[in-house]
Amino acid sequence: MVTLEILAISMPISVLLGIALGTARVYGNVIIRGIASAIVITFRGFPVLVTLLLIFFGLSDFGIYVPPFWTAVIGFILCSGSYQSEYVRGAIRSIDIGQSLAARSIGMTKLQEVLYIILPQAVRRAFLGITNELIYLVQYSSLAFVVGVPEMFAVTKTFNSLYFRPVETFTTLAVVYLVMISVLVVFFRGIERRLAIPGIELTTK
Amino acid sequence: MNSNIPVLKVENLKKSYSGRIILDGVNLEVDKGETKVILGPSGVGKSTLLRCINMLTLPDSGKIWLEGVELTNPNTDINKMRQKIGFVFQDFNLFHHLTVLKNVTIGLTKVKKIPEEEAIKIAASALEKVHIPNTLWNKYPAQISGGEKQRVAIARALAMKPSIMLYDEPTSALDPQLVGEVLQVIKELSTAGMTSLIVTHELHFALEVANELLFIYNGKIVEQGPPEEVFANPKHDMVKKYIASIYSRKG
Ligand SMILES: Nc1ncnc2c1ncn2[C@@H]1O[C@H](COP(=O)(O)OP(=O)(O)OP(=O)(O)O)[C@@H](O)[C@H]1O
Ligand SMILES: [Mg+2]
Repeated sequence: MVTLEILAISMPISVLLGIALGTARVYGNVIIRGIASAIVITFRGFPVLVTLLLIFFGLSDFGIYVPPFWTAVIGFILCSGSYQSEYVRGAIRSIDIGQSLAARSIGMTKLQEVLYIILPQAVRRAFLGITNELIYLVQYSSLAFVVGVPEMFAVTKTFNSLYFRPVETFTTLAVVYLVMISVLVVFFRGIERRLAIPGIELTTK
Repeated sequence: MNSNIPVLKVENLKKSYSGRIILDGVNLEVDKGETKVILGPSGVGKSTLLRCINMLTLPDSGKIWLEGVELTNPNTDINKMRQKIGFVFQDFNLFHHLTVLKNVTIGLTKVKKIPEEEAIKIAASALEKVHIPNTLWNKYPAQISGGEKQRVAIARALAMKPSIMLYDEPTSALDPQLVGEVLQVIKELSTAGMTSLIVTHELHFALEVANELLFIYNGKIVEQGPPEEVFANPKHDMVKKYIASIYSRKG
């Protein structure tokens, strides 16, 4: 199923992009921070639909042809990653300065501090926000139809135009999304439990 | 190594915060095996001084040497030098997401690149020195008491095999009944020859452990000497008041 393929690729990569962008905006030098901020501001500012159309049609004006499937994947990674990065950035900022001082006091470099001390804690704090964005990504994956990807929504629409049973077909589609998201929610819960730090209530039960 | 050079030497150290002078030319030396205790009223810059020594706070001017290596020289690899300066914080600052054991091994495995197995051995010996039983090794910081946290924090610093330990009010954040176990550990380390520089308000402890007391006031060290001498015959007014106030508080 195309929808699942798109999601299977874009979800994990968007998480990595979100962590990278959020971290770059806190710890990067002026240039890196500038680039990361520009990416985040752009793709949070553009409607997802417009981003997809720009990647597909805009880039072809420069002679770059991105196939529909990859247009959707890239677009979703950029959008979701940008949104997720804000949770990561906020989480990094919320980590007590003492953690950083302690890391430096045992001789860690800035990079070691970020990798081994700050991010493991920040990603945990950002986790619920990140999963929220991922669920949202499932919803707007249906927008891939605008660049001609035969994903679930496009297929359903075609089906409906053949048989004209809108209520039945779209209800079925809604249920399929609901099931997909429920499976994800259970999956995220599992990860959340595994990430929990004993003795600390990080999330609402 | 030349045994004549002090482990730590601070020369004319100055630091201001937004125009307000906090440290106004501090000089001090700590020799191998010595324990010096810094005393002084709240807000005079004791923490600032300690943080300047391992360059967690950058001094405005002045020089600092650790075993003859100038830390204030911009060409010095300060990350490398910090490995040799154990720092114990008032509020422990254990890494929340790591177990007790991992808190102690992480500096060994990630910073010193020591293999895990060997790191665990070193950590075990450090944890033993601070009397943390191995039943606590797999606990997380949120699951242990304040006194245990601070002792783990001391072990984390000790495991790096530092040349000197800096303690910034190591018991100020503790419930009174937990203070003793931490002071006991610091005293044992000190007695065993660990070079130490300690900021504390625990006067009795200072008297027991210190080779020398340093009183800091108005940005300078205003009085220093062996505890018995300073107490028998305080010269500076602040020192007189400080000693009197602590005695009256203790009743
Ligand atoms: N990062 C900072 N920015 C501005 N002012 C600061 C900063 N850190 C400390 N100060 C100020 O410098 C002074 C000295 O602070 P410091 O924490 O070194 O004092 P202290 O002697 O350790 O006091 P205490 O006994 O309360 O711990 C204080 O007045 C404090 O407000
Ligand atoms: Mg202080």
